Amino acid sequence: MTEQEAALGFAAPHDMPVPYIHRITSYYLALGYGNPYRWAQYADVPFTPLKKPLSESRLALVTTAGPYQNDKGDQGPGAAYNASAKFYKVYSGETDKEHDLRISHLGYDRKYTTAEDINTYFPLGQLHKAAEAGRIGEVAPRFHGSPTNRSQVTTIEQDCRDILARVREDEADAAVIVAN
Amino acid sequence: MSLIARYLEENGIPTVVMGCAKDIVEQCGVPRFLFSDFPLGNAAGKPNDPGSQEFTLDLALRVLETAVGPRTTVQSPLRWNEDSLWKIDFSNVEQMSEEELQKRREAFDEVKRVAAKQRQEAGLKVSAAE
Repeated sequence: MTEQEAALGFAAPHDMPVPYIHRITSYYLALGYGNPYRWAQYADVPFTPLKKPLSESRLALVTTAGPYQNDKGDQGPGAAYNASAKFYKVYSGETDKEHDLRISHLGYDRKYTTAEDINTYFPLGQLHKAAEAGRIGEVAPRFHGSPTNRSQVTTIEQDCRDILARVREDEADAAVIVAN
Repeated sequence: MSLIARYLEENGIPTVVMGCAKDIVEQCGVPRFLFSDFPLGNAAGKPNDPGSQEFTLDLALRVLETAVGPRTTVQSPLRWNEDSLWKIDFSNVEQMSEEELQKRREAFDEVKRVAAKQRQEAGLKVSAAE
């Protein structure tokens, strides 16, 4: 960084959001896979306003984390990418119970993160606190886990439908969706 | 996850996405997005830092209740660390030697092999159950 930039209080040139699409596309090209993934891209985006205040709303939680499976190898903390820990169908868990969910099947940043603290990717504890504090009405009775491994067609035609059906069954008013 | 947000929203369920990959979520386009500029895997806050985790959820809830229209992105003011050098490293081929790339080619072939086997097994199980 030049002295002038420093004097202006600029951040370092690298200190901006990571360009993941560019990085990952270049990475797989360098590995010899010449058919880059096409990330979803839409011109139009839907929007549904809240129907009532959050303090009266029932919130659903949707996650890409998966249940620990003791026959599927190292799932962390600190595990290498573990494709065998993937799951292929939407699942749900009761939110009034403790859950051991992991993200070893996902492409998180393994150099700087070990996934040792579930609250960094599955904020159920935080949601319960928000409910206790009256910040939200209540936590829906179940959270929902979404597969991440399939084609976008499968995600839309199968997983999205499954999750919508479950969110509706639980009569949730809104959803918090955590990406990883 | 962005696709799920869009689908729920199209069907009358308001959503907020918590995430760390700004370009991926914004390219898809979601109604409401709380962006934490942290390494992937920390969309709900910093590890072993309950204050940051509660703050992050509360910010997501504020985005959920105050967004005036779609493609609302709010960036959390929290920083992972002071130097932000983690941003340089992720899948950055410009930082990798040929030897490192070769190791990764081999590792990736193995991942693909395991995933293909898993899919096949899952498929077989599904057809057996039906």
